[in-house]
Amino acid sequence: MKEKLDALFEEFKNGIAPMATQAEILNFKAEYLGKNGQISQILKSLKDLSNDERKAVGPLANQVKEKMNGLVVERLAEIEVAEVNKKLEQNKIDISDRFANRANVLCHGGLHPTTIIQREVEDIFVSMGFEVLDGPHMEDDYHNFEALNIPADHPARDMQDTFWFQTEEGKGKHLLRTHTSTIQVRGMSDRKPPFRFIAPGKVFRCERTDASHEMVFHQLEGMMVGEDISIGHLIYFMKTVLKEIFNKEVEVRLRPGFFPFVEPGFELDIRCLICNGKGCSVCKQTGWVELLPCGMVHPKVLQAGGIDSEKYNGYAFGLGLDRLVMMRYGIDDIRHLHGADLRFISQFKDY
Amino acid sequence: MLVSIDWIKDFVEVDDSNPKALSEKFTLATAEVEEVFVTGQHLSKMCVAEIIEIEKHPEADKLNLVTFKCFDNETRKVVCGASNVRKGLKTPFAPIGTVLPGGFELTPKKIRGVLSEGMLCSEEELGLKESSDGIMELPEDSPTGMGLVEYFNQKADIILDIDNKSLTHRPDLWGHYGMAREFSAIYKNPLKNPFDEAWMKKWEAATSKGDAPVKVRFDGESSGIGYFGLTVEGVEVGESPQWMKTRLEAVGLRPINSIVDISNYVMLELGHPNHIFDRDKISGSEVVVKRLNSEEEFVTLDEEKRSLKPDDTVISDKNGVLVLAGIMGGLNSGVTENTKTIFIEVANWKAAEVRRTSSRLGLRTDSSQRFEKSLDSFQMKKTLFRILELVMELNPNAKIVGNLQYDGQELKDEDLKLTLKTAKINSILGLELESSEMVSILNALDFKTSLSGDHLEVIVPTFRKTKDIECGDDIIEEIGRIVGYDNIPQRSPKLDIAPTKFSHAKILHRKIQDFLVYHSTAFEVMTYPLIGDKLLDKAKWPIRDQFKLINALSKDHSQMRDSLVPSLLESTSENSKNFQKGRFFEIGRRYLGDKKDFRKEVSSLGMVFFDKEETPFNSLADNVDGLLRSIGINFQFTGKHPKFKNEAVPEEWMGVHPHEFLNIQIMGKMRGVVFSVHPLVLKSFKIKGNVSMALIDIGHFENNPIKNKVKYKPLPKFPNSKFDFTVMAKSDAGIGEVLLAAKKTKFKELEGVEILDVFKEHDDQKAITLRATFADPEKTLPTEVLTQGQEALVNSLNKAGFPLKT
Repeated sequence: MKEKLDALFEEFKNGIAPMATQAEILNFKAEYLGKNGQISQILKSLKDLSNDERKAVGPLANQVKEKMNGLVVERLAEIEVAEVNKKLEQNKIDISDRFANRANVLCHGGLHPTTIIQREVEDIFVSMGFEVLDGPHMEDDYHNFEALNIPADHPARDMQDTFWFQTEEGKGKHLLRTHTSTIQVRGMSDRKPPFRFIAPGKVFRCERTDASHEMVFHQLEGMMVGEDISIGHLIYFMKTVLKEIFNKEVEVRLRPGFFPFVEPGFELDIRCLICNGKGCSVCKQTGWVELLPCGMVHPKVLQAGGIDSEKYNGYAFGLGLDRLVMMRYGIDDIRHLHGADLRFISQFKDY
Repeated sequence: MLVSIDWIKDFVEVDDSNPKALSEKFTLATAEVEEVFVTGQHLSKMCVAEIIEIEKHPEADKLNLVTFKCFDNETRKVVCGASNVRKGLKTPFAPIGTVLPGGFELTPKKIRGVLSEGMLCSEEELGLKESSDGIMELPEDSPTGMGLVEYFNQKADIILDIDNKSLTHRPDLWGHYGMAREFSAIYKNPLKNPFDEAWMKKWEAATSKGDAPVKVRFDGESSGIGYFGLTVEGVEVGESPQWMKTRLEAVGLRPINSIVDISNYVMLELGHPNHIFDRDKISGSEVVVKRLNSEEEFVTLDEEKRSLKPDDTVISDKNGVLVLAGIMGGLNSGVTENTKTIFIEVANWKAAEVRRTSSRLGLRTDSSQRFEKSLDSFQMKKTLFRILELVMELNPNAKIVGNLQYDGQELKDEDLKLTLKTAKINSILGLELESSEMVSILNALDFKTSLSGDHLEVIVPTFRKTKDIECGDDIIEEIGRIVGYDNIPQRSPKLDIAPTKFSHAKILHRKIQDFLVYHSTAFEVMTYPLIGDKLLDKAKWPIRDQFKLINALSKDHSQMRDSLVPSLLESTSENSKNFQKGRFFEIGRRYLGDKKDFRKEVSSLGMVFFDKEETPFNSLADNVDGLLRSIGINFQFTGKHPKFKNEAVPEEWMGVHPHEFLNIQIMGKMRGVVFSVHPLVLKSFKIKGNVSMALIDIGHFENNPIKNKVKYKPLPKFPNSKFDFTVMAKSDAGIGEVLLAAKKTKFKELEGVEILDVFKEHDDQKAITLRATFADPEKTLPTEVLTQGQEALVNSLNKAGFPLKT
């Protein structure tokens, strides 16, 4: 009997293997496991056997039945996968037909490079407790010059090529701010020491434009006022910020620089990042690059901002943002920044 | 300004073994040295050559092959084009490897096939004259082969080119003596003073006798502060001695004649400009300092006609103007070769006036440049005596005629005394200096000091207090720079901690930029806030000339823009040449007139979508919709409104599309607009395709915090029911109207209506499929309520002219 069952299973196994459709398999299954199927017959015939024979053949027949059922489930699953895959094959898409491989598809975007750098610098200063202020571009003589200790006829006005507006009699002289230092007095007037703030923004100079000169560019003014502020503090903040901006220690030096609104006034130079101080065309062979003017706020400027200059002092600095942008990306012509040319701008895409 | 270290060494010892280190030291302590170079280096390679043979160049008519004797009787040959070559001529020879003053280095070179071993030089090439014809002709007795350093009695000199801007505030540094004082403080070497009291007394005595043939008189108030004059006769005008010519040339001045050179030499030495007249060209016996009463033409030394205005200060004689005060002398009163008697002027003028007149005339001279820095009146006499000293030295027959003349303000020195606490000096510098060190630095700079305990009293020298030194902080700078700012250690201040946040406006701007970059796939650009009529014409823009510049650089940037539109159109025009479609935006400012405050600057967002194929209007409007939601602004899109003007585009502008237009109404006002640009304006910019723009004046709400409007509702406990149905509409009806009509249905359980699909049904009809959702939070809706709801919905659409599709 055992031999017969084994032979039946062998026969079933070989029979089901090549079958390719569900119907075929179900019909085939019925031949063995259906009501009148061969296995069912055997199971039915068990009752005619002796107890001992029944005990021997019964479990064996059930085992074969289960194995056959298992094969059917397995084969049916295989066929289902094959059928679905065949459908998928028929509905195949071109997975390389993506934006990346198509012309003129709107799938990029990005911030202006000046915005990128400005945000970085703003974030660094905010992390050190500086507020970020803003102010008007069209200014009066007072905020751009007078309040900054640059009275009329002061030779320092020569250093600032100013755009002036036509104005009606008696309405005062108005101009386009030549530096973000205009924010110093505006910022001080609204605050009580101690405070510190920065003010990034557009400034305007009436000078011929070329690859490194623009009539509109970006500066970032900074100011800190409190008690017993020292040049050592100024150096600390400048070095810390520059280290964050350039992502490495930057060697700096202060040398005398003349700006009427600071006393003492400095030019802050950094070790040339191109040649590491050996001397190259960028640093004009000096090993140093002039980066930012700064100094201790002149007492007259503090007074113009309503600050008690006996009790408080502070420092101020101005950073050329466009210079940083050009250094970071190696941009060769400053005029690209206001050019709104997507061939330029799209190079700064974020994705 | 060029500074000669050789000259400096007249007054102070300086270690000049390393020119670069020297210039760096000066840069760190005083003023920026832009360049450092050594003069006369070319001469060390050159010698006197004697021409022995001339033959025609085989390939070129105008060139000669010149053979000559030079170093140690050696014979060399060069190609030469000069017309004055001749046998026996002695001339300077520069061999290969010489770098000429213009920076030109001689390298081995074939000229028309013949190798030239160097160059016979002209005076121009040697930097001796501004222009010259042919090679330099040396006297016949010049020793052939002699090195030019020896021949010209020249020595090498280090020249510092100092940035004039860094001297703006230092009137005392416009001469070598003042510079030497700095070197003395920097190198801690004593400053020699040849102009001491004894010297002054000697010259006082020499100029105190007799009646002066030319008197000085101030006629009323003018820019004059003080004026010294002295007459000297018996001068012989000729060539200056070589040492003087060499120094003048080293610092970039061309020698002219022995008297003019003295005038320049003393200006460069003591920093005080002066003027020397030919006495015989002064009519009468006085010079008068006065303001002009009327306009006048005056020919200055440089042979230019200058129009003088009333109020310009001049020095004149009875016949008219001789000198434009502090700026330049006249052509007719200057010293010439025939001058026998001179009148020396050393005066001081008000800085602001010199500056104003010289910039009006566009005439900036060595003189005006110095006077505009506010010079020290106490240097006048010293300057005059120094001129006198040199005149007497170089003219053995010269004789002082009459006494020294002066008119002007009484020269009385009032001490400027500043008191500082040494602790404060250290606190501001961030250093711990001994008081004695502070004192010795200040003394080296000629400040007088007295120290009692912590109190440092400083008396400022006259030449530092005309404008430069005013308060204690100026003294701190003097100490700091000489100690060297490099020696100040960095130190973090001790600060209280408080939260810092960006302003609402900054947060808003950043959020807008982020939304447009990451959601709208747009690029941020910047355009010029200054625009011109040409662009406004092109844009057919109706508003202009609101804020016009007096001194615009060009017509294209002559006024402030009142809108971003023209600039954005211009960049669209450029970009559409390179791209089929694109999206960009700018957050810029509009500059608007304001009755109260001259101007109002409004932050404005401008967005541009352009597409050559189809109009990007709806897609732009969708992005604006999303943007305004993301920044929590209550807004409404509305059509054109007869009563409420849109503030973002002027109504008269013809650039707006007749249909593709939506007002953005924010807090009741039309603060923005989405529109497509009218094809006629596009044509004017040669833009092909479609351009849509959105403008939003964010300035009106940027100072408010962004509101977070999220309100959570628990999820429904009972299922809702959906009802899909299709209505008919005329093909030009907007689906928005259909939706609006559906939403107006008054039925409590109607939760929402959406449009599922739109398709064309007949030529003039379209079918619109809607899906309505009915729900009740308390229970599952019974069928009869649903049926009522569906009927109500269909009815109200029917009434609005959108019948159910049958």
